[in-house]
Amino acid sequence: MSDDPLRSVDLRKTYFTKGTPPVEALAGVTMSVRSGERVALLGRNGAGKTTFLKIASTLLRPTSGQIEVFGHDVSTHPDRARPYIAVVPQEGKPFFHLGPREMIYTYLRARGLSRETSKARTEEAIERMNLTEFADRLCITLSGGQRQRTMVATVIATQAPLLFLDEPTIGMDPFARREVWASLRDLTTKGSTILLTTHYLDEAEALSHRLYIVERGRVLVSGTADDLKRSVGGTLKVSLPEGAPQAETFRSFGETVVDGPSLTIIVHPERLGELMELALARSLTATVGPVTLEEAFLRVVGRNIDED
Amino acid sequence: MRTDPPQALVRPTRPFRGTAAFLWTEVLVQAHESLAMATAMVTQTVLLVFVYILNPGLIGVALIGATLFSSFALGQRVLNEAAYIRIDHKANDLYLAGPMSPEGYFLGMATGILVVYIAPIALLGTLAVVVGHLNVVTSLLLVGLAGLVWLFAASIGYIFSTFFRDNRAIWAYASLFFNVFGVLPPVFYPFGYFPPALQPVALLMPPSAAAALLQSRIGVTALSTGQVELAAVGLVVETLVVFVLAVFWARRTVRGP
Repeated sequence: MSDDPLRSVDLRKTYFTKGTPPVEALAGVTMSVRSGERVALLGRNGAGKTTFLKIASTLLRPTSGQIEVFGHDVSTHPDRARPYIAVVPQEGKPFFHLGPREMIYTYLRARGLSRETSKARTEEAIERMNLTEFADRLCITLSGGQRQRTMVATVIATQAPLLFLDEPTIGMDPFARREVWASLRDLTTKGSTILLTTHYLDEAEALSHRLYIVERGRVLVSGTADDLKRSVGGTLKVSLPEGAPQAETFRSFGETVVDGPSLTIIVHPERLGELMELALARSLTATVGPVTLEEAFLRVVGRNIDED
Repeated sequence: MRTDPPQALVRPTRPFRGTAAFLWTEVLVQAHESLAMATAMVTQTVLLVFVYILNPGLIGVALIGATLFSSFALGQRVLNEAAYIRIDHKANDLYLAGPMSPEGYFLGMATGILVVYIAPIALLGTLAVVVGHLNVVTSLLLVGLAGLVWLFAASIGYIFSTFFRDNRAIWAYASLFFNVFGVLPPVFYPFGYFPPALQPVALLMPPSAAAALLQSRIGVTALSTGQVELAAVGLVVETLVVFVLAVFWARRTVRGP
């Protein structure tokens, strides 16, 4: 038994549907999330992120393997794990015929919080998520982004020890996303732990202490965003807009990507000077920038697809 | 930074936890949908008008039937609501992945819908008492039987809701199920009008069983002791079995396959 908020060992899930071949959604996921951490699960559509989150949040049975929430076995005793968790479901929507204030308050009451606590936390969440202006308007009249903010506010207000957020900022504008990030950071400083999935890699980088990249039900890489960027062979990216015809010359510096006439090279900082001199000698224009998490993600997952 | 969550935050889930809170949630949701509330009595009112035009002497029986049918029809609302929340909003995941009990979610939804529609049902019941000159015992029997019919229908409605993956299919099947079993059998008309060969079946269907018991009580229908026992025991047993099954099913279906 572990004291970690979340721990899974060789977790597997296979979907069996009559008349179609079995689909292996999780093929042995081993991972842990430590107390107070914000961890992001990244992966392509159908990689297994939501399946993992659903099993961890007691909403789906695993086929085999072990998964624990605060030491409670989710497979055998989901009722013991549930008091510790709160979930923003993927594509979840608030009740359309409630306002955000009613939605958050009644949800907290349904979780067993007292009237006073529910009221105080509702007001705090409304203010925090910038919902004050339309807190009493029915959700059916709100925009998609405002509804999503209501969902996130509802779950954040629980201050549950372990939060699962499945694409929590989908459909939100950049300001609203940053409000969510600030709220989630605040929650973890108070002791909550967060596991989220997202397709916004800037969000994953800005928000997460650690990342897991999942592909076809397996964890490909885990670590910090910097670890991941380093894993692709360098932290800098040199773009040569007319460099494609000379790609072979630059291959020794690191991974190269040809896209039309342009060439991109991933390079370690210590070899940057040498590369720039060579580019200059060949009269090539070069721009240098940091490798982004998105580029690292594309390479890590792309390599795996190529290998398969 | 703490390593363990404070226990005050983490109360264990107990049976039916969250029922009252979800009842209130459902009341608020339904109360904001006044059009849905207005349409709740359409079928009953239309049938009452037909009965009154064709045979005004049966309006007392029809009013009893309308009260029972209204309780039964709430099952359709539970079915629609549970499926809508699950399929369209995925809000059931929000509630069930937490300390709220699954049976509290089901019962809170069912009672919330009952509370919202209780006024029109009570109006029909009151008219049945006044027009049919029902005494206190018969009136209380009407209330009790309507309650059993509601619990049966709400439980069946919740169980059925879990089998659907698409709301479009629900509209057709739910309407078919609740209208066929609530209108075709002798609920709005005397039990004796129903083909004798099919009468035992009608006595095993909660809405018509309750109607037959009340019609027997006010002397409109003559039931044998065996028929009374079949209707009464059948209604109670079916309701309890379906309710227990709904509680079990609510717990069972929190997690997918």
